[in-house]
Amino acid sequence: MSNKKKIVLAEDNSTLSLLLKFRLQKEGYDLFIAADGKQAIELIEEHTPELILSDIMMPYISGLEVISHVRNKLEMKVPIIVFSAAGQEEMVLKAFNLGANDFMGKPFSPNELVIRVKRLLSS
Amino acid sequence: MNDYQNILEYFNQLPTLVKVVWVISIALFTLILGLIAYLKILRINLRRNEIKRIKYQEIYEEHLINYLYAGDNIDEISTEQREFINKMKKDISIEFNRNILVAVMTKLVNDISGEVATAIYKLYTETGLIDYSLQKLKARKWEIIASGIYELTQFEVKHVYKEIEKLIKHPHKEVRNQAQLYLVNLFQFKGLKFLNDLEYQLSEWNQIQLLEILQKFDNQEITDITIWLKSTNISVVEFALKLAKVYNQFESKETLLELLRHDNKELKVQTINVLTYFYDTECKTYLKSNFHQSSESEQIAFFKLLENVAENSDEDFVIENISHPNFKIKLAALKILKDINPDKFNYLEIAKNNTDAKRIIEFIEHN
Repeated sequence: MSNKKKIVLAEDNSTLSLLLKFRLQKEGYDLFIAADGKQAIELIEEHTPELILSDIMMPYISGLEVISHVRNKLEMKVPIIVFSAAGQEEMVLKAFNLGANDFMGKPFSPNELVIRVKRLLSS
Repeated sequence: MNDYQNILEYFNQLPTLVKVVWVISIALFTLILGLIAYLKILRINLRRNEIKRIKYQEIYEEHLINYLYAGDNIDEISTEQREFINKMKKDISIEFNRNILVAVMTKLVNDISGEVATAIYKLYTETGLIDYSLQKLKARKWEIIASGIYELTQFEVKHVYKEIEKLIKHPHKEVRNQAQLYLVNLFQFKGLKFLNDLEYQLSEWNQIQLLEILQKFDNQEITDITIWLKSTNISVVEFALKLAKVYNQFESKETLLELLRHDNKELKVQTINVLTYFYDTECKTYLKSNFHQSSESEQIAFFKLLENVAENSDEDFVIENISHPNFKIKLAALKILKDINPDKFNYLEIAKNNTDAKRIIEFIEHN
């Protein structure tokens, strides 16, 4: 049984997913990648991660629905960081209302993301 | 053989019209068969290309991520990274591969910043992708030129700005648009210099795109917009008015007041709207004295301004217009009167049985 902390990353940009997976694995985390919100929910239910990283705009099920599912249906208190693009400020507010813990506006620095992940997982 | 001869004989005996119908039917049938075969081949090729594209995309994604994390120092290229660059140099000589690599790099660079983004910009130069983009600028087809500019913008290639500036007057709209986006994306407010002598019209969509780009920068120190407010190109003036409002260019007020004398009515309306936003009172005298010569849109805009800045001295002018035939002006006039002189407004109330404005007054009373 691995002691690594599990992170589910929901992001439809496959290149970005791969980059973040590589970066976070280097930091010692166990990454599960979802290309859309539907896959994200499946991975969350299957692995019960310690942290969720989710893009807001995704195919099939949006990041907001993922947050809502995690907080309201699964009743998990796992920290959630959302990614948003410029012009999605209202979505970010909705994400916070639904229970997101932090957000990062795209384009963001992977180094900064690592800092935030560490901070959330250590608190 | 006999069957064939029988068919031929039968055909020869047919009336001419039936023969023609037969010939046309066979020709159409052959054509349809040909088209079906062509579509089938086309679909197979498209699917094959798509599978190949997905496969190459995955390969390049992996290569790219390995490249990005292969170096310890961002300023130096490691041996492993050099090997990747050399491999890519060979790969990208094929257009198909080059397009996929550029797409993968663009996809990533749009979503990340910092050291990783800088490393991708460097890779773009080192692999020679930059040369292909620069070659595109010399293409005859407009869409190729536009895609070249787009790539140079995405990978923040600043030193070729002189080449791009030449394209700002390109006859095709999309090329001009991409050139403008390049300049503003990479040089922020300084990039707007092209507005100084822009001859073509800047569409509403272009203006929105430029404003959106400008707003994403940390440095919001805008350059002087006076020259654009005085431009002979109406679309440039319209854009400058938007800048004046978004960036609170109160210092350009004198030029804005001059614009009230402009020949273009729509521009005058937009100027009044900006002055309304600034709560300007200086323009009132001019607008009042020219009220009857103004268009209805200007009059409505002026009354909106008055709703913000009306004083007791405006009372006579407002009363003059409480029976204005335009409903919006009539409503604004009554609202203003209620604000600056409630007694007089109540007097109107006494007489409201005799006035057409009865419903308007009641509405204002309750709002």
